[in-house]
Amino acid sequence: MRPRSVGRVEFDAVWKKFRTGELHNRLRDFIPAMVSRAFRARAADGALGGGEFWAVRDVSFTLGPGDALGIIGPNGAGKSTVLKLLTRILRPTHGRCLTQGRVGVLIEVAAGFHPDLTGRENIFLQGAIMGMPRKEILRKFDEIVAFSGVEWFLDTPVKRYSSGMHTRLGFAIAAHLDPDVLIIDEALAVGDAAFQRKAFDRISELARSNIPVVVVSHQLETIARLCTEAILMTEGAVVKRGTPQECIAAYLAADQSASRRPTPTAVVIEEVRVEPAAVRSGEWVTLTLHCAVSGPGPSASESVGVRIRSPDSGEPVFETTALSLGHDLPQTGRFAVTMELQLNLPPGIYPLESFVWNRMAGRELGGGPGGAMRVEGGQEFQGSVQMNARAQVLTYGTD
Amino acid sequence: MIEPADKALAQGPGPLSVPESGEPSSIVADIRAIASDLVEFRELLVELTIRDIRIRYKQAVMGVFWAILTPLVLLLSGWILRLAFGRLSGEAPNDAAMAGLAVKSLGWAFFVGGLGFGTASITANLALVTKTYFPREILPLASVLTQLVDAGIGTLALVLALPFFSVHLSTAFVWVIPLVCMLIMITTGAVLLGSCANVFFRDAKHLVQLVLSFGIFFTPVFFDLDAFGPVGARIAMLNPLAPVLEGLRLAVVHGHNLLQPLTSAHGDYLVWAPWYLGYAAIWAVVLLGASAVIFHRSEFVFAEYV
Repeated sequence: MRPRSVGRVEFDAVWKKFRTGELHNRLRDFIPAMVSRAFRARAADGALGGGEFWAVRDVSFTLGPGDALGIIGPNGAGKSTVLKLLTRILRPTHGRCLTQGRVGVLIEVAAGFHPDLTGRENIFLQGAIMGMPRKEILRKFDEIVAFSGVEWFLDTPVKRYSSGMHTRLGFAIAAHLDPDVLIIDEALAVGDAAFQRKAFDRISELARSNIPVVVVSHQLETIARLCTEAILMTEGAVVKRGTPQECIAAYLAADQSASRRPTPTAVVIEEVRVEPAAVRSGEWVTLTLHCAVSGPGPSASESVGVRIRSPDSGEPVFETTALSLGHDLPQTGRFAVTMELQLNLPPGIYPLESFVWNRMAGRELGGGPGGAMRVEGGQEFQGSVQMNARAQVLTYGTD
Repeated sequence: MIEPADKALAQGPGPLSVPESGEPSSIVADIRAIASDLVEFRELLVELTIRDIRIRYKQAVMGVFWAILTPLVLLLSGWILRLAFGRLSGEAPNDAAMAGLAVKSLGWAFFVGGLGFGTASITANLALVTKTYFPREILPLASVLTQLVDAGIGTLALVLALPFFSVHLSTAFVWVIPLVCMLIMITTGAVLLGSCANVFFRDAKHLVQLVLSFGIFFTPVFFDLDAFGPVGARIAMLNPLAPVLEGLRLAVVHGHNLLQPLTSAHGDYLVWAPWYLGYAAIWAVVLLGASAVIFHRSEFVFAEYV
């Protein structure tokens, strides 16, 4: 065994500047640019020049053994840049970022493969790129091959592999790295369902092996299951830090308030509560919509409703309003609407939206706050609906 | 609730209280960092070299023969030139001339091979550079090592062929060691500089292409130094590869001790002076050192530029 060092990740007030547009990649443009740079004050580093922007703004965190940080946020929030800074592919413009120990990276697990080389040759090459000495690869070779399931094609050039075999082999190598720090970016969608389960089990095992872990994923369920803490990033800055559940809820809420423009409505939804925040598949939750009638007039024709979306596709899986449940709203003052829902859903984190509905126009007028509902594994099942199956075994008498 | 990013954030860090990441570092510290990187990633250097060699010989009908093809073609070109000029001067190329051509062709083939593959090494491995971390020096160095293996095969062939040109082992052969070291250093320096420049501006590739195509006319490969006359010989020797290649020829073919000056057979001017060795050595050290430091200082932005 190699001597292990205590893995550690430190991000100390890290800023990273990028440029947009064309870079001067011809000598004719480059020389004047270099000259002007040489005569410009160093302080200019702190400011933005033309076409420059901050991809990461003042991000800090420290992770020790056993800490697993999830980074969530919309596209372009700077998540991938943070990972590239962590893996030393990029250097920060300001601040300090440090990773201590061997860094295992589950991103682009097959980046080092050469199409003309065989699977066997690529295992050694990719292993070396990931920082595994030849001896260690030799020791783990059989394990890697067995995990990947490409035994029959070991001496075939990888250009003849299917894309599934390609990533499976890459993942198998990365999964046997024995890292001190683990960094995961959307590497989970690998191969078929059976391999994905195997891959996820392996990742969970690594993540729980008392090393610092950083996970970036749009699969919020993954973050919720693997991480002990989370940060939400928007436009390069950390806007929230806390438990994965808190950050996911904030992310989903921000996601929908940003995507829907508010129309002035008579009824305003002030707050949506989900009790309990997490349930087992097939159990009941109570949603409470705290509302207020803010103005006179058309409130008689308005109702409030909720919509639950699929964690994978974002498609609505369920939608209802107080009206369709047989309730009219009060005409004045503050009130609350409660709805009880049986979550016959597979495990996952379900984005929740609230909205104001106009019964005359038959359309949505505006949105209210949102949230998330977390469904954990209950009764085992396969499929898209939890049917709370019951079974009995009856035996026939022998005589 | 999420609040929009702070206004102060949008304006940048302002007066800096955090330490600068690009702390000014000394050249010595840089060289030390490069050395420790190379020690740490030596296995990767070996694997990438093996990769390059394997790829070259996969699906290649001629296999190992490729390693000696370039120097052989160079030798043939030189021989044709010599033959043509020999007709004019009435002096046909002899065994020693051919042996000298062979030695210098091998050296030049190593230089152009390394520079050609090495310059493209960073941009050709885009996926690796943008997706994984390792000291970027590894890529151009692997190109040089690959060429070194080829040159080794070529050298073996040359050693087997030399007796047929009536060249025999002499004590002057020890000069081969420092000269080959200088050749490797100069080539490595040029490759580091070329590959680094190629990341930032694509003209670098064309510039290198010029050197690869026409450099041979500015380097005494096809001709020996005494063909240039007293002034020409001095000017030709300004090219740092000239003393290296000429030194190799004189030591191997003529068994000449390079600490002794040598006068031209055609006249009484010097074609070799001992200080040429020092000149080439200084070039080798300065070029390699400077290009390694330049490369090291700019490699951290490669992923943003390629």
